[in-house]
Amino acid sequence: MTLGSLSDVPIAVVGMAALFPGASDLDGYWANIVSGFDAITDVPPDRWDPAVFGAHPEEPPRPDRFACRRGGFVTAGATFDPHAFGVMPVAVADSEPDQLLALKVAAAAIKDGGGPDRLLVRPERAGVVLGRGGYLTPGLARIDQRVRVANQVTSVLRDVLPDISDADLERVRLAFQDAVGPERPEASIGLVPNLAASRIANRLDLQGPAFTIDAACASSLVAIDHAVRELRSGRCDVMLAGGTHHCHDVTLWSVFTQLGALSTRQRIRPFDENADGLLIGEGTGVVVLKRLADAEADGDRVYAVVRGTGVASDGRDASLMKPKVGGQLLALERAWADAGGLDPSTIGLVEAHGTATPAGDSAELATLAAFFGGDRSAETSEANAPVLGSVKSMIGHAMPAAGIAGFIKAVAALHHRVLPPTLHVETPHPALAGTRFRICDVAEPWELRTSKDTVRRAAVNAFGFGGINAHVVIDEAPRVAAVDRLVPTTKAVVPLTDLADPVRDGWATTMAERVLVIAGPDRQSLIDQLDGSDDDVLARHHVRGRLPQGGVRLAVVDPNAKRLALARKVVAQGSRWLGRNDVWFSPAPQLGAGGGKVAFLFPGVEPTFDPRVDDIVEWLDHAPIDFGGADHLGYQGRAIVSIGRLLHRALGHLGVRPAVIAGHSIGEWTGMIASELIPPDTVDQFIESIDPGTLDVPGVLFAAMGCGANVSAELIDGLPDVVVSHDNCPHQSIICGPEAAVRVVVERGKQRKVLAQEMPFRSGFHSPMFKPYLTPIRAHLDRLPLQAPVVPLWSATTVAPYPDQPDHVRDLAVRHLLEPVRFQPLLHALFGDGVRAIVQLGVGSLTAFADDTLRATPILSITANTPKRAGMDQLRRVLAGLWAEGLDDVRFELLDTGLHDTSLPDAGESAGEGGGTAVPLALGSPWIRLPNLTVTAGTARAGQDRGALSRTGDPLLAELDGVLADALRASQDVMAMLEGTAPVAPAAPSEPAPESSIEEHGRTIEVSTAAMPWLLDHCFYRQPEHWTDESDRFPVVPMTAMLDLFTVEAEAMVPGHVAVAITDIRALRWTAAAPPIDVTVKSTRKDHPDGSVEVKVVLEGYARGTVRLAAHYPEPPAPDRTPLENEGPSVVHASELYSDRWLFHGTAYQGITEILAVADNGIRGVIEAPDAPGSLLDNAGQLMGYWVMQAVDHDRLALPMRVSAVSFFGSPPTPRTPTTCTVWFDRVTDEVARSHMELCRPDGNVWCRIIGWEDKRFDSDDTVWPLLQYPERHDLAEQQDGGWVLVRERWRSSASRELMMRRYTNAEERAHYDRLTPHDQRSWLLGRIALKDAVRRFLWNGSDAPADRHSVFPIEVDIAHDESGNPIVVAPTMAAGMPVSLAHTDWLAVALAGEPNGLPVGIDIERVAPRQTHFARMTITDAETSLLFPDDDRNCPREEVTDDRVFTRIWAVKEAAAKAEGTGLHGHPKRFEISEVDGTRHRVDDRWIDTTTITTTEGEYVVAWTLIR
Amino acid sequence: MSPGPSSADIDTYTATDLPSVLAAVGSMIVEIVGEDYLLDLEIGMATSFSEDLELESIEFVTLAEKLAERYGDAVDFVAWLADTELDDLIGMTVGTLVTFVAASLDSAAPRTS
Repeated sequence: MTLGSLSDVPIAVVGMAALFPGASDLDGYWANIVSGFDAITDVPPDRWDPAVFGAHPEEPPRPDRFACRRGGFVTAGATFDPHAFGVMPVAVADSEPDQLLALKVAAAAIKDGGGPDRLLVRPERAGVVLGRGGYLTPGLARIDQRVRVANQVTSVLRDVLPDISDADLERVRLAFQDAVGPERPEASIGLVPNLAASRIANRLDLQGPAFTIDAACASSLVAIDHAVRELRSGRCDVMLAGGTHHCHDVTLWSVFTQLGALSTRQRIRPFDENADGLLIGEGTGVVVLKRLADAEADGDRVYAVVRGTGVASDGRDASLMKPKVGGQLLALERAWADAGGLDPSTIGLVEAHGTATPAGDSAELATLAAFFGGDRSAETSEANAPVLGSVKSMIGHAMPAAGIAGFIKAVAALHHRVLPPTLHVETPHPALAGTRFRICDVAEPWELRTSKDTVRRAAVNAFGFGGINAHVVIDEAPRVAAVDRLVPTTKAVVPLTDLADPVRDGWATTMAERVLVIAGPDRQSLIDQLDGSDDDVLARHHVRGRLPQGGVRLAVVDPNAKRLALARKVVAQGSRWLGRNDVWFSPAPQLGAGGGKVAFLFPGVEPTFDPRVDDIVEWLDHAPIDFGGADHLGYQGRAIVSIGRLLHRALGHLGVRPAVIAGHSIGEWTGMIASELIPPDTVDQFIESIDPGTLDVPGVLFAAMGCGANVSAELIDGLPDVVVSHDNCPHQSIICGPEAAVRVVVERGKQRKVLAQEMPFRSGFHSPMFKPYLTPIRAHLDRLPLQAPVVPLWSATTVAPYPDQPDHVRDLAVRHLLEPVRFQPLLHALFGDGVRAIVQLGVGSLTAFADDTLRATPILSITANTPKRAGMDQLRRVLAGLWAEGLDDVRFELLDTGLHDTSLPDAGESAGEGGGTAVPLALGSPWIRLPNLTVTAGTARAGQDRGALSRTGDPLLAELDGVLADALRASQDVMAMLEGTAPVAPAAPSEPAPESSIEEHGRTIEVSTAAMPWLLDHCFYRQPEHWTDESDRFPVVPMTAMLDLFTVEAEAMVPGHVAVAITDIRALRWTAAAPPIDVTVKSTRKDHPDGSVEVKVVLEGYARGTVRLAAHYPEPPAPDRTPLENEGPSVVHASELYSDRWLFHGTAYQGITEILAVADNGIRGVIEAPDAPGSLLDNAGQLMGYWVMQAVDHDRLALPMRVSAVSFFGSPPTPRTPTTCTVWFDRVTDEVARSHMELCRPDGNVWCRIIGWEDKRFDSDDTVWPLLQYPERHDLAEQQDGGWVLVRERWRSSASRELMMRRYTNAEERAHYDRLTPHDQRSWLLGRIALKDAVRRFLWNGSDAPADRHSVFPIEVDIAHDESGNPIVVAPTMAAGMPVSLAHTDWLAVALAGEPNGLPVGIDIERVAPRQTHFARMTITDAETSLLFPDDDRNCPREEVTDDRVFTRIWAVKEAAAKAEGTGLHGHPKRFEISEVDGTRHRVDDRWIDTTTITTTEGEYVVAWTLIR
Repeated sequence: MSPGPSSADIDTYTATDLPSVLAAVGSMIVEIVGEDYLLDLEIGMATSFSEDLELESIEFVTLAEKLAERYGDAVDFVAWLADTELDDLIGMTVGTLVTFVAASLDSAAPRTS
């Protein structure tokens, strides 16, 4: 093989794992990058203590004092599970942490690439190369402390304190060494540096080359260069490459301090004009490489392809700190030549070395200009220019691991097709303009830049001290067929804006429901694990990477207090719990190791069809499913098949595969597809062959019978053409036959008290009646190529697996259409075959059939889709149920966010089959203090004896004096800082906290208009000015005032800190201030080991949020310049928002002074908020709410319910500061509107960012909306001829109903309402509205022009009852009581108002429906019979009244008459006898009652009302 | 709704002895749903069939069967259900059913007045 042929062999990246500041795994790392998460923090005191090593501003520079105290630190991910890797637990403490972390990350990379069984089949041809520097790493530092420093200390002591005894010195030495840690001679082997690679080779059994290399900051890319060469030469088939660096030792900080390379402003801003140095980071990254041809042959998932690598030194030009363009350029040229001479103009992204040192950035930009050219005019637009970035802006400079950090970022960017952001570039470096590159500050979808580009291409730089340079060229992976591409495209990553926020922790909880999973060897173990507070249990056990193992299992989806309480009861009780309330518990899991099978059952056509798959479609990047004609049976059939296939694919992706497949009715066709009995490539042809038009058989009817098939068989006896077509379960069967005959059966059923319901489709399937329509289907079947199914498919016709012979299959497919569906026997047979879990792939009743049929058996049945919740959320429940029942390899993590495309296990818990717990690794070396040790002689105390020491004139003692003085001053400064009296130090050190500490605090606050008078300007309901009862105005605490309260509570709990973010904000219900209430505020402080502080504030029963605090506000980000689409002026002027009642807010909350633009996807305005709590953010919410009002034509009222996160970049602007607010909408659905917002100060700086602000939309149509705006002039009534009004329910949700209820009721009425059942509340409310509107209409004198109406608010109409319960109305301008009458049925109410002081009135409404004969017998008198049925010659017509409409009218007339009489029918309808009929009018006694019918979508109704003659 | 003529409805009658009917209906539901499932729930008048009990339509059939076994012709659950809209069934509480049963028993009982 010649050298020439070695180049341009593409190398595939097939696995990756990462551990960097702020990210313990690849997923987290990429999510951080996309979201622009700044992982830079203050130095944790366990690395080096600022109290000891911090420099003071006034002090001249010293090599052992550092002014810079910020950097990138790995905290949470610094753990290692010794059991997982067969490492002795005791050896962990003695090993160099980076070796263990490298091992962990390498194993995670292998697992990510498919696992050792896939990648490491030939260990002799696998190797590893790691970049690693020769620094004083924590393990070495500890051995140095033990061996050298301990003796140095005693030696110094002896010199300065000559009186000290040998015994005391020995005590000091031993105490010092003890404090370093126990000594184990065998442990020293753990410190040999090359073990970082050798441990990996050892534990993963790699037999190829395994070594570490040191090329300073270029180390990782040089490692990749080596690995690529191993693969290209053919010596190895699989190579691991990467880098590791975990060394925040003071010596390294000292080196960089002395070099002047650390940022004095403590910000790392590569390529910013004002960049003034780097911040030190750390981390480990490993990638798995194979030759692309092998990877493709092996079917590996390929993230990206390495095309070329280049390495070069600066040669004799090299100097320690001055990078040379020449050497860098040479590396670039070599890499692109190595890539086969690719055209540099095709570059899309360069991940730069970008250290943010002025010299480094300038040299690198010069290199980029020289190599890629500097002509920007070649680009079609600025936005089209290739992107330059550096992940160092987020994690700091990870030294030898920096190259792999950049490499993984670039590969992930290619894979996800996202151009990731770089932080803190406020004024780009002037030299950037001389290159072709631009820098993006938020993530963007990565489109091909020009039409001639065929592939996305990136390159990575890493340039090391001493002039060693490396460059790698990477291409995106060759395209795979879109259908197999489960990788989310950029579309799925969007909305990127969702992530463009420094607050990240809230995501896990806000973007997906959590799942609690607990397993153990026995029930007691679960009981133990559930012990503790809910928060603790959740924190310990929610799904994060690997699932626990064990023979007794519990899963809880979206765990809350109620569910956890139930879970504890369930486990205590001990018997299997199969999913009610989203809890699953199995004392003896039957799946997986239990041997039980999972069956996939595909549903057929059912009367209701309301699947929810939008989110799944989007997640899988699946073609949209057409529900367009779902009312039509054929189209619905197609949609059912499509959804079954979609869910089959989704579940397969999530690790759930069936052992058996079956279907119900046409679900069996889906089963044929899913089992691949019909080859996948002919499926679409098969689907197309189903002509929707052929599926209706005229005149044929189905009826669902609430009885078993045997009873149905009896009921159809003697009706020759009727058959039992479906035997579903013991309590349901379906009959099919000619319309008339089926109706006979339904009637027979009723007599036998069997529920029966006609079905809305008429296919005649599964009956001989379909026979005439078979020919075309048979013809299609004959053309279909068939093959053996890959999963056994069972037939519900034969109750056996499908035959093997294609012709027999075709015969069976035809029989299936003509013979009954024997689903009940099929279920028994499946159970007999070992099925222990049934998953329904679609919406329908199959799980109910299974539960009914297999009632006595421990079978799990669960549907994969339900109208009740979003598709992904239901899939999560399927996984939870199956896992609890023993299925191990389910992949919850894939459901979490669009960012997860593959299993990316938590590097902290990933590797082998250990099952142990990960132990934290010490990444610092201990700072030894011996406070309890005293020695007898010459005790020197700072401040007491140092004068005496100085006086000796001994230079050594003088030095010691200085040290002691420094120490004293340092400690005084620290104390002052802690007390808040010191001039500001860059960052307040946090107290070391080895574990999260928690503190709780509770108090009660009074929520009232007296305590919070501003709430009178935040009342939902406008009432007459004179109105005194405040509760009728509904003064509500704005959600934004809650945020204010959260902040106050949190800041009080953590003095000296400010609230920098509030996450996970939920309003649980209205917090109304009248009548006054006491609300318990509970605050829980959590101090995390990394020094951050969180306070969770709960207004018990009302709202909650979590406040994040820090010593100071973060630097504001650059303003988000994402444009709004189609900006235009607002049709409503800002001042009109309030005067025209678009918004209900009073002066304290009226802050919108200008609407700058209204756009298709958002709104921008200026807010000058008055000084009421939460006023500024409330106005932001008002802007958002106004946009919704003007953008939609129904459900216009939108009120805030939850917010994912609010981040603050400074203290709040003072009241009335003109603040610009931009709202971008992320999604607007029927239920919610969701947006993100940014508020900027007058100087343009960002003050606040909000993500995931969700408004709930309340039901309001064209009738409701004007009423909400102008309640005194509008109503809900539909005026009817005859003077009565009709009111129908115009709201679907109980929240919307409550809103309307409050609009109409006074306090007394609300108290009554609250005592009713929800069902009764609905009808009562309709009635009350009808009554009040009837009265208001009367007072308005029927005028239709709202403007002419004089004002009558609903609340001004007061309704009392007289002794017999008749309503009496009192209303304004009414001297006397007004007679009224009311009736309601279903969700309709009618009301009639009469003249004040006039005759009583009566009205009734009844649904036209069949009544039992005894009603007629009870109701109609003989005289009425002859009057109403004069032509009827039957003997007793009143017992035979079959005309439902006539009978209903008679009843309604009597009822109306009885009401006018003031007595009601009271079971004596005959007393109100109809004596005369005149058209629609009926006379009862001396009253005339008119009638009419009204028809709604719900049915037909008769209304009867008294006329005043 | 407060008692009075305006609440009159063709299908509802004065109900008596609700507690004993509730107890009987409750025990039927327990048989159907399974005692284990009621760990977290006490069946009362306000218990909803769909939301609280998650009763499937087929379980309704079982309930109808049990009502028929116990009350015979006096309570025509099937006819009543046939008169009731699906949406109403979904929102139906145990109380609605109990009231119906009690009313049926009431109207079937011989009148003493």
